[in-house]
Amino acid sequence: MDKFAIYQFYGLLRREVLEHRNLFVGAPAVVALLILVATTWVATRIDPDRLAEGLRYLSVLFDGLSPFDMAPFFMVAAAPFFITLAICTVIYLINALYQDRKEMSVLFWQSMPVSNLQTVVAKLVAITVVAPIFYVSIIFAMYLIAMVWLTVLGISYDVDLVGIGWMFLAALVSLVLIYISVVVTSLWLLPTMGWLLLFSAFARKTPLLWAGGVFILVGFLEDFIFGTQYLANWVESRTADPNQYLIVEFSSVFERVFNYDTLFGILVGSILIAGAVFMRRFID
Amino acid sequence: MSNIVEAKSLRKKYGSFVALDGVDLSIPSGAISGLIGPNGAGKTTTLKALTGLCDVDGELSVAGRDPRKARHKLMEDVCFIADVGILPKWLKVSHVIDYVEAVHPRFDRRKAEKFLSTTDIPSNKRIKDLSKGMVTQLHLALVMSIDVQLLVLDEPTLGLDIIYRKEFYDRLLNDYYNGNQTIIISTHQVEEIEALLSHLVFINKGKIVLDTLMTDIAEVFSEVLVGPDKLSQADALGPIYVRNLLGKKSYTFESIPKAQLESLGEVHTPSVADLFVAKLKEEKNG
Repeated sequence: MDKFAIYQFYGLLRREVLEHRNLFVGAPAVVALLILVATTWVATRIDPDRLAEGLRYLSVLFDGLSPFDMAPFFMVAAAPFFITLAICTVIYLINALYQDRKEMSVLFWQSMPVSNLQTVVAKLVAITVVAPIFYVSIIFAMYLIAMVWLTVLGISYDVDLVGIGWMFLAALVSLVLIYISVVVTSLWLLPTMGWLLLFSAFARKTPLLWAGGVFILVGFLEDFIFGTQYLANWVESRTADPNQYLIVEFSSVFERVFNYDTLFGILVGSILIAGAVFMRRFID
Repeated sequence: MSNIVEAKSLRKKYGSFVALDGVDLSIPSGAISGLIGPNGAGKTTTLKALTGLCDVDGELSVAGRDPRKARHKLMEDVCFIADVGILPKWLKVSHVIDYVEAVHPRFDRRKAEKFLSTTDIPSNKRIKDLSKGMVTQLHLALVMSIDVQLLVLDEPTLGLDIIYRKEFYDRLLNDYYNGNQTIIISTHQVEEIEALLSHLVFINKGKIVLDTLMTDIAEVFSEVLVGPDKLSQADALGPIYVRNLLGKKSYTFESIPKAQLESLGEVHTPSVADLFVAKLKEEKNG
């Protein structure tokens, strides 16, 4: 890839971040703020002696333990961010190839020497690779504020700060695991992403309704004609278990990516994404 | 002179509506070409086809490429301002410049900033906060800063007041055009661009009605104001259009030698607007 192509791709990603800063930065920032405000509010309602006791317990719990062992604790605590990112991803993908057609700025974007494939790939990379960086950064900022707050409390109540330091290390490891989990989950859910992009490129109105409606219709027809529920079962098998979305050990990354189910999903997702690129050609 | 655009038998349908019905078109390199037609004639579809923004049947070559096969490659050599193609409202002016600089290998940022410095457009404003005239100025500044072979403008001054319209074409001619680029302009305001044009295309109901160099118009078309005593002589020569004018009749002729017409009255070359009406009426009357 030549230097200009990299610069061009950076320009495309920058455009996505600027256009969707509410989804990429605003939404997780609001979640972090709510968590901090709620935690502070709860802390002010706890008896100071009980608060000090709880802090000592946490300090002892984390002291000397491997941050890798304790990181999953923080991953669970980050669940509101996972949920927010999932909702933002659906909103982003369903509008990705629809919004500019709706506001007719598509003719400007299409008048630039950028292929439809580059556009679609940039949008996918923006939401699966770039957006999680913002989410993880905001979680990091939240943890940092929380740690400063805990340190101040620790000093006030004469709690051993070493345990809090270990807790912070575990939080940092969890951020790496959170990021990897999101990226690997994106590969796992590529068929869903491709499906949303396909209808984002296809629908003249209400793309979410199209995406949901056609899926239900295909499932219904399968059941009605063949008496089977392969489609529904396949989707359920890929979405029902929350453990599918979390990677708690670095060693499991290879196994989670390079297995039949994930690779088959990547194939199906790629076909749907190719369909979205093809549809994008015919904007009139 | 070679042609930068070559189109043969272009066809395009939207449902049962035929937008292009066998369009044959040749636009010479270096020309400023006017694509003139009434609403729904197929102007925008033609321009979209030339820029690879809609799929058409037929043979098509623009700057040596087929727009249907590699639009993004073609767009390195072609710039397009669409009639309804608004710049994204959520972007700031500086962001638009950043974006074009990032994705277009032939964009000259300094040139764009120089153009913009002569306008009232603030770089920190969002597009949605600019007037329509300013948005058009900005878009023009962007495309004028890109070194391309072909500039395609679809109703670029639609909805602008006379000052912005005049400034738009002045800038295009004085600050941009150097004789090497080709410009295709589609517009309703024929009078405003008549003096700029070196090539003319009329389109109606998806068909090309006229495709000629401006220099050929004076040789081929004539307009004569005929008094009541010579009407039968004028009618006998087969005018393509007749209209009443100040108690006389104005006849438009095609391919009739001027010497033959001089006996009818004062002969002059019809304006593009008059010729446009004449050709469309001729088409309508069969």
